[in-house]
Amino acid sequence: MRNPIGWAGLTAFSLAFFAFIYAPLFVIIGYSFNSNPVNMMIWESFTLDWYTGLLGLSDRTTDVSNRAAYVESTGLMLAALRTSLTVALFTTTISTVIGTATAIALARYRFRLRGVYNGFLMLPMMMPDIVLGIGLLIFFVSIGMNLSILTIIIGHCTFLTSYVFIIVQARMAGLDPALEEASADLGASEWVTLRKVLLPQLAPGILGGALLAFVISMDDLVITYFVSGTGDTTLPVFIFGMIRRGVKPEINAIATLIILASVVIAALGLWLRSRKTD
Amino acid sequence: MANRRQSVALGILLAPVTLFLGVFFLLPLGIIALFSVLTPGLYGGVEWAFYHWNYGRIFGWADGIIEIYEPIYLQILLRSLSFAALTVILTLILCYPVAFWVSRLSERWRLVFMFLITLPFFSSLIVRLYAWLLILKPSGLLNAALLALGIVDVPLEILYTPTAVVLGMVYVMVPFMFLPLYSAVDNLDRSQIEASLDLGANRVQTFVKVVLPQTLPGIMGGAVIVFIPSVGNFVVPDVLGGAKGLMIGNLVEQQFLSSRNWPFGSALSMIIMAVVLTVLLISVTRARKAGGHA
Repeated sequence: MRNPIGWAGLTAFSLAFFAFIYAPLFVIIGYSFNSNPVNMMIWESFTLDWYTGLLGLSDRTTDVSNRAAYVESTGLMLAALRTSLTVALFTTTISTVIGTATAIALARYRFRLRGVYNGFLMLPMMMPDIVLGIGLLIFFVSIGMNLSILTIIIGHCTFLTSYVFIIVQARMAGLDPALEEASADLGASEWVTLRKVLLPQLAPGILGGALLAFVISMDDLVITYFVSGTGDTTLPVFIFGMIRRGVKPEINAIATLIILASVVIAALGLWLRSRKTD
Repeated sequence: MANRRQSVALGILLAPVTLFLGVFFLLPLGIIALFSVLTPGLYGGVEWAFYHWNYGRIFGWADGIIEIYEPIYLQILLRSLSFAALTVILTLILCYPVAFWVSRLSERWRLVFMFLITLPFFSSLIVRLYAWLLILKPSGLLNAALLALGIVDVPLEILYTPTAVVLGMVYVMVPFMFLPLYSAVDNLDRSQIEASLDLGANRVQTFVKVVLPQTLPGIMGGAVIVFIPSVGNFVVPDVLGGAKGLMIGNLVEQQFLSSRNWPFGSALSMIIMAVVLTVLLISVTRARKAGGHA
């Protein structure tokens, strides 16, 4: 950059941009330590009560008679978290298997419908989630299937399979097919070649795809909202409901814990990626 | 396919995705299309008779007896399109300079800021929107700051307005615009920029004639990725928008979860789908054309 004033201006703009992205997160974290139970926008004093109450560690905040400090979400939140984790685990497994199989098929075999498949697999990612959500809702209701954790898992897999497919396909493109040909020439069956030659090379891509699927599944709101029925709800739907009903101070503590978890997962993802390039 | 065992392997690999997406993706979309031309039942559900007034209500050929044409539906559709377009423009204005800045940093700082821009991908959408609720409230942080600084005398009413909706969408979509832009800016051929400047073009000319055409694919990619989820968005207007910030996604949600008029909701969804497919088709043909010239 030849112009130092221009560069300084650009730097100021960019730093303001990152402040814009991160300031809201710090606002939540700040408020989560505010002890004011009536109006959480007015700072009273520093407290960890919302956290201890949420995690079921404190008597004071689980005392129903003390309305002001009572944390009502603990049980519901933990149930929602459990549902989210169950859904994410199953979704990740299913979509990773299907997505990987598809990526291998499209990269290693030449057949007439290959182009059609390649284009078609983009659609679930591009389709607005509300359209997919209501489509699945009508479908499940029409065939008489009860809305449950199973319908949530199916809903997530419909679009996450495509995400895994994209990631694994990208890894696939960087591999040398000669290794597999050598394996076949040396008498290995397709299955042995797949297991001993192809899958080990694909592992970082598969892991990356699985991680992405897990993270998106944990965060999905819209599709879950439509196909979850009245029983099981996931964490994002639970928080959405809390926001709609009117927020209670403990939501800041929940939100902070979620932000913390996402930082850990993002760091893990970055670490995995840096290992992959080594 | 010469080898029979190979075609068996191919079949095994492709069967799961074909079955799964056939049943749980194509079929539901087909059902939406079907429901959009069926008669709404009296107490929710449908009657199996052809009915075109669902679209008539939206586009103006309603029968005027049971189904009444309300221009509000078209207005909400246009509003959704303009909010989405505005989101694209604003994220582009925000991200372009920053992408440029990040690409000029040293290796270490570039990694740091790339990490910072991808981090929101991993953090919860609903939590990030909730933060804006705290900031924009009449008693929220923004108003507290403005009042304290004496910039305003009465709290600004930002929450539950179109401004809040667009702001929220820009905030949520920023990373999706940034990443394609960054890869375009990072791949800029710098020698061309220097050549342009050396040959006497000024900065503006260089930007318009050299930088902009080279980064256009990134701009188009980002625009599509931001526009599509914005136009059908219902979470952001639900949390931050009031009646004036209502978008077509909210209409769809109402038809399914409160009005229980599924055929009408399906017709509205078909419109969202049509918009999305049109945008995709245009971008694909454009990209193909551009690829053909190169």
